[in-house]
Amino acid sequence: MKRICIVLSILIALSGTLLFAAGETEQTTGSSVIIRVADNMPGLITPGQWNGQAFSLNSSVYDYPVVLDPDTGELKGEVLSSWESEDGLRWILTIRQDIVFHDGSTLDADDLIFTLERTQDSTVSHVKQKDFEIIESVNKIDAYTVEVVLKEVRPGFIYQLSDYNMAVLSRDYDYSALGETSPMGSGPFTVQELVNKEYAHLVAFDEYWEKGFPLSDEVHIYFVSDRDTALSMLINGQVDIVPFITPIMKQRVDSHEDIYVTVPYTEQRFLSMRVDAPPFNDNTVRLALKHSLSPTLLARGLNLELGSQFYYSEGPVMETQSQFVQTGPRKRDPQKARDLLKQAGYPEGLTVTLTYAGDHAFNQAIAQSIQEQAKEGGFTILLKGYPRDIYFSQYWMQVPLSITTWGGRVDPAVLLSLAFDSRGVWNESHVKDPVLDEIISSILTEVEAGKLDMLYRELQEYFYDVGPLINIQVPYLVALTSSISGYTQPLTMLPVYKYIEKLN
Amino acid sequence: MNSYLSTVFSKVGSLLATLLVISLIIFSLVELMPGDVAQMILGQSATEESLRELRQARGLNDPFFTRYGRWITGVLRGDLGDSIYMQGVPISSILWRKVGHSLFLALTAFIIFVPVSIVLGVIAGVKEKKAADSIISFTGLATMALPEFVSGVILISIFAVRLKWLPIVSVIPIGQTLFQNLDILILPALSITFVMFGYVSRMQRSSMIIVMNSDYIKAARLKGLPERYIIFRHALRNALLPTITIIGMNMGWLFGGLIVVETLFGFPGMGSLLMTAIKTRDVPLIEACVLLITVIFALSTMTTDLLYGYLNPRIRFKGGQR
Repeated sequence: MKRICIVLSILIALSGTLLFAAGETEQTTGSSVIIRVADNMPGLITPGQWNGQAFSLNSSVYDYPVVLDPDTGELKGEVLSSWESEDGLRWILTIRQDIVFHDGSTLDADDLIFTLERTQDSTVSHVKQKDFEIIESVNKIDAYTVEVVLKEVRPGFIYQLSDYNMAVLSRDYDYSALGETSPMGSGPFTVQELVNKEYAHLVAFDEYWEKGFPLSDEVHIYFVSDRDTALSMLINGQVDIVPFITPIMKQRVDSHEDIYVTVPYTEQRFLSMRVDAPPFNDNTVRLALKHSLSPTLLARGLNLELGSQFYYSEGPVMETQSQFVQTGPRKRDPQKARDLLKQAGYPEGLTVTLTYAGDHAFNQAIAQSIQEQAKEGGFTILLKGYPRDIYFSQYWMQVPLSITTWGGRVDPAVLLSLAFDSRGVWNESHVKDPVLDEIISSILTEVEAGKLDMLYRELQEYFYDVGPLINIQVPYLVALTSSISGYTQPLTMLPVYKYIEKLN
Repeated sequence: MNSYLSTVFSKVGSLLATLLVISLIIFSLVELMPGDVAQMILGQSATEESLRELRQARGLNDPFFTRYGRWITGVLRGDLGDSIYMQGVPISSILWRKVGHSLFLALTAFIIFVPVSIVLGVIAGVKEKKAADSIISFTGLATMALPEFVSGVILISIFAVRLKWLPIVSVIPIGQTLFQNLDILILPALSITFVMFGYVSRMQRSSMIIVMNSDYIKAARLKGLPERYIIFRHALRNALLPTITIIGMNMGWLFGGLIVVETLFGFPGMGSLLMTAIKTRDVPLIEACVLLITVIFALSTMTTDLLYGYLNPRIRFKGGQR
């Protein structure tokens, strides 16, 4: 018995030791105004390498050359005080003179040049390398002015500088060694502590160039891999903001008076038909599928309302963008769909596999709704949902029918050149039509607004008639406590925490 | 004692060999996981060129045994490698913080379930076939049959949602420590207790019944010793041995089983870290976590074996040696 007692005593002593060992010494916060966020678990977070999971952190730590004004939808300068180009080929970018990085160094022309040239640095594997290949040269005019010369005319080039991977970085900071552990920029908040895979503790940057901002003292970001757990934290009062929830999750908070849900922007899901192989190389089949689907039923299947948070079109421009042209709606007509299939040589109907990333919000529900609706139109759709890495590495751009998540581009022309041009690197429908190439090329180089509007109309009519795409636009939902006001997150996906107010 | 020492050395040798084989199995299984690490890192917007460069830079194109050799020699030197998502950050710097949290959670559960299970197991054994025995045995069976995620949800519904006594999610507020937030441990620890209680109390009950029916206990009763004295001084010390074995064997399982509980409660421990690593295909981190769980499992099993020998005179004094 004595020996048993000894063993049990050792175990209890060991647990007591661990109790104190687990208690790391950290400073507790006083009466500061703290914004608490339960965000997604990030992957790589260094600008140029991150894969879109660290929006709260990066938008707070870094500044961007230009940002999208969520109220007007127009670009406004952040690091840039102004920009100009007469021909869309030579750009003059002027930098504010009052910006300093968190390490105290001044942000000037050399930092902007470093940021732009870094996109082409092969050791970085910059995700925007293709987008910025168009730059011929970057030249320093003076300490705060940079000249960018492009290889081709690009009136919309400036929009590319609002991308979430284009934060302005310090030329003197070693981002390859420190970017993942000690992010350093010139943004409204500095990193006090970053515990990888757990949390980020940000505090207001005293020398931030925009005087009077940020409005809060600290931002606490919890990295939570499970969205339901994140929502539980909100319900429990442990956080104030939970980005990226689904409509089903929204139902959990609908009964909570102190929680509301906002839709800062919409995302796109492309139902893409591969046109270089049967069966979708025949436009009759594409039309048959389009006639099988009802936007209203699709919206209902996602617990959404058509026209407010859910949009549906057959072109690549989002309904919320100024370039959008109404070409539909096409009436759902399953009988016509069956007739078209018969005409295309499928009198008994057509069986096709729909492949998608099942772990992206809405994709599974969209796929099931399409499967159900298309059945009446003579389509037997087999569903194959995969984790997103498997989808993108093994199936994307290979399969006849797919659903892919596409973030909205501030300038739709950027997306057109990537996804629908014959030479586009992510031409998932494999469309290679000189007519479409010509329209896209004209859009990319057109300077005059009136002509550009005409080109966008022509583009969207083309897609309505023969396009390989159904564009389903779904809301990006964010749940917040009622104490939070001023939450904004434009199409660039970067939430702006510096303007958020928290009422106690 | 020499015999006991040679047993210890033999078990340690066997443990090291087992771990070496298991490390190869872990590495092979992680290799078989579907998905492309480079694609996962660079995401949808990755070009074939950037994917190729990343694979090259990370040595992902090297032959299997080259990569295994690189990994295992690193582990032997104490270098668990770098996380794919945290360039320049040693895995050990992330891992030990989480392991500390998980160990603390496991030990909290241990402190709750061991005394409760032993006491109730003893009562059930002594009161065999009476009402107390039936209630305790039924409760043990019921809690053992309930998976942690079910008992966890029930506990959350009662204590967090309805009564609002405890937090729904067991996160440590930023700027504070686990020590300042001990209440976040209660629900996860109770979930674990629910499962472990069944195993331990039933084992304690069975061994207590066997001991209480043995000749030396009958002799003690015939001598007129008080029942309480017989139970605590004669019966319990022998009846505890199988229970300790079960507890020790389950410590390894308990640590691995924390994945479910930690994920359910959002507790920042090694289980949730492993789950995140799996979701993001963070191969070095998965390998480190699984290897560590294996080491803990193997160590707890070996410790139990040695403790059993230490506590049981029939094994300790083998062949009449002292």
